[in-house]
Amino acid sequence: MKKNRTSFTWRKVTESRLFFPLLALVIILLADLILIPGFFKFQIRGDNLYGSLIDIFRNGSTVALLAIGMTLVIATGGIDLSVGAVMAIAASVAALLMNPYVLGKELSPQLQALIRDPNFTWQPLWVVLLITLLVAILCGLWNGILVAYVRIQPMVATLILMIAGRGIAQLITNGVRIQIFYEPYAFIGQGWIILPFCLYLVAIIYALTWLFTRKTAVGMFIESVGINARSSFFSGISERKIKLLVYTFCGFCAGIAGLVASANIKTSDANNIGWSLELDAILAVVIGGTSMAGGRFSLLASIIGAMVMQAVTTSMYAIGVPAFALLAIKGVFVILVVMLYSKQVRGLFQKLAVDRKET
Amino acid sequence: MTQRINALLSKYRRFIPLTVTALLVLVAYTIGAILYPAMRNPQVFFNLFQNNSYLLISAIGMTFVILTGGIDLSVSGVVALTTVASAALLRDGWNPWIVILLMLIMGMTLGAIMGSFIAFMKVQPFIATLAGMWFARGMCFFISDDAIAIDNRIFHLIGKTKILIPGLRELAISQATTPPYTSIFVVISFLLLGVAIYIAHFRRFGRTVYAIGGYEGRNEQSARLMGLSVNTTKVLVYTFNGFCSGLAGIALAIFVSSGHGLYATGFELDVIASVVIGGTMLTGGEGYVFGTLFGVMVIAVTQILIQFTGSLSSWWTKIVIGLLMLVFIGIQSFIATRRGGRQQKKWIHTLLATPQRRLALIFSAGALIVISILAIYFSPSILGTENITSTGSGHCNVQPFRKEEVANLIDNGAVIAYHRAGGTRCVDELYAVYPDGSVVAKSGEQDLQGQVDPNEVQKILATISDTYGWFTEKMYSTYHNPCGTCYTHYLTISYNGQEKTVTAVDGGVDMQPEYGYTLSIIRPILPKFNP
Repeated sequence: MKKNRTSFTWRKVTESRLFFPLLALVIILLADLILIPGFFKFQIRGDNLYGSLIDIFRNGSTVALLAIGMTLVIATGGIDLSVGAVMAIAASVAALLMNPYVLGKELSPQLQALIRDPNFTWQPLWVVLLITLLVAILCGLWNGILVAYVRIQPMVATLILMIAGRGIAQLITNGVRIQIFYEPYAFIGQGWIILPFCLYLVAIIYALTWLFTRKTAVGMFIESVGINARSSFFSGISERKIKLLVYTFCGFCAGIAGLVASANIKTSDANNIGWSLELDAILAVVIGGTSMAGGRFSLLASIIGAMVMQAVTTSMYAIGVPAFALLAIKGVFVILVVMLYSKQVRGLFQKLAVDRKET
Repeated sequence: MTQRINALLSKYRRFIPLTVTALLVLVAYTIGAILYPAMRNPQVFFNLFQNNSYLLISAIGMTFVILTGGIDLSVSGVVALTTVASAALLRDGWNPWIVILLMLIMGMTLGAIMGSFIAFMKVQPFIATLAGMWFARGMCFFISDDAIAIDNRIFHLIGKTKILIPGLRELAISQATTPPYTSIFVVISFLLLGVAIYIAHFRRFGRTVYAIGGYEGRNEQSARLMGLSVNTTKVLVYTFNGFCSGLAGIALAIFVSSGHGLYATGFELDVIASVVIGGTMLTGGEGYVFGTLFGVMVIAVTQILIQFTGSLSSWWTKIVIGLLMLVFIGIQSFIATRRGGRQQKKWIHTLLATPQRRLALIFSAGALIVISILAIYFSPSILGTENITSTGSGHCNVQPFRKEEVANLIDNGAVIAYHRAGGTRCVDELYAVYPDGSVVAKSGEQDLQGQVDPNEVQKILATISDTYGWFTEKMYSTYHNPCGTCYTHYLTISYNGQEKTVTAVDGGVDMQPEYGYTLSIIRPILPKFNP
């Protein structure tokens, strides 16, 4: 009797959505503990905490931000390939609003000294943030309209912005890589309040999204649209508005990620900011166990998925794998994860479990 | 009259996207020819194919994949891997024909593995091929960090052979102009196109491919119920695409006569765009392999128009391709709705039929207007890139361009001054080539001397100046934040009294291909530093 109860709770744990991503994270961190001496060491400099573990969370924050938006999009059965390009657009707009003088060909020495001043900005910070996020939201809205109202396949609709977006970002900055000298802006990516500031940003966005999806009916609507858009329409859910909302929100998240990324490297780099991050974000969601076909989703699992990806990257760097060779390892890792979640393998596991029970 | 046009349209509506694309190519090229007399040269037209033969080869394979309703993001990775692997094997002295065969087999194997994952494990095509892309790109850097030059007689022969066009040769000779020519890979790509058309439209395999795609995967189910071998077909389609990627990789390796893991970044997007613009539905099941040819041509003409315009920057290509995709997808969905039994209504009425649609239209128009206002407001009137000094990029503090030192070298008679900074070992190397064939290299720690044939230096200079158009306006400086393993190149060429410095960073998409070719022909004569 007692044994039965324990197996029941064990099952409940293993069937939880967080189980597999957390297990993967724990395994990777355990491997780090054994292979890399001093991986878990924390340093306190000033009031702030530093260490490899914190680095993982800090570097994973952009993907985590993207993954929050992407989870909702994938839950409706869609996909958003344009988030990387939207990040680049957001970064370009933000940099331009702080430092438009760089685009002039000849800079007078006074102006040059002025724009290098860490307290100088063209527009105040709140205007910069507001306009940047507004532009990102517009990009998301554009995707949403194409998907929900013009009825283009999500992948194709967002592919358009993915291709054109980087061109638009370069158009905004005229192809120039604008350096950002304004210190308060850099705080978004590089600031620390005991922990890195961008972690708080992820936590706030997560908390707001969680409240919005789990404490109102919106989350359920999103899931129902993902499971069957037509029947949700017939049961009175405005499926189009839900889709529009989700893509717009994804654009917003990409905008914030763009702010964090550009503040982190203190430049607007239209070519490299967010390059292939859309893929990382999608994989984070997949590792989090949200089905690409839509339906049930878990925001926390996606964030853990993002951290798993970053943990793999950081530990590979720590072992000494070169940056590009890492891609090959990541590719194999992805296939393994996806196979683990595939119906075939799960069916095999279940069959094995049933066989064992019978014997 | 309108009725007859309507009837005609609905009868041949399958051909609408294809016709529109073909017309677009024609109109765009005609406008270009009117504006720029240089475009009237038939050679420019044949160069469209020559510069994009690998795009066409890859797009043919992709058409089949998209017809089954799948997608293959791995093409760029496989192409890059092919260039690196073939360059590395040739460097080790392998027989070039065996190398080519091995590369094709490698592409097919990778394709077959991805296809099996998709067909049997039911992994989403998107995810499986993405993993394939990462795997292939990563493997490139296991083979070599740096670009490997290809110095093989047969590869050069394949690349340099000029095939004269039969009809036009006599015409050109009678007018005493140089006859237009094309290259072997253009012929191969057209042969492949012919074979692909035959397979797609006249074989059982092609019918199965068409049967699988379409209607968001619902056709796949019916194909299965009909007893068609869906899984085998899918694996074969991805294998064929792998073959095409391998062939495209060889074409690229021969075209630029070098191999590097960062070649063809973002290539998959070009390929997908050309298939879509060619009129193939991304849901699968509808489209023509022949249309892909026009899709490739649209992209080629766009590039060449932007090149000829000169004042437009390279990023306009991306924006134009994005817009074209939007237009063609719009046409496709319009055709799809017509098929849905709403043929009586004019399309503008269908667009405005419901309040939601009106709302959507207003929203999208508003979004477009706001974005364009922002773009116009922020885009300054001066075009042209700034002279940017480098700053740290995470791994390495990239050294700035040693401008004075290079100017001194040129004043002392150097014809090529090449400064390279960055990379995995964070180098800061300065090379100078003199007309007498002596080469001097400085890396801060080491000084090296080298000696090459003076004639070869002259030949390289002539190639850079004439073939790659170094002193023309199509060569301009580009810059982006270099990645950890990327190099920043500053190359100054002095030839026939002209002198020009062009800056570029590898690892992005902004470097002109000609810049890459220039580097790849200069690299072999430079001495190598020992790390």
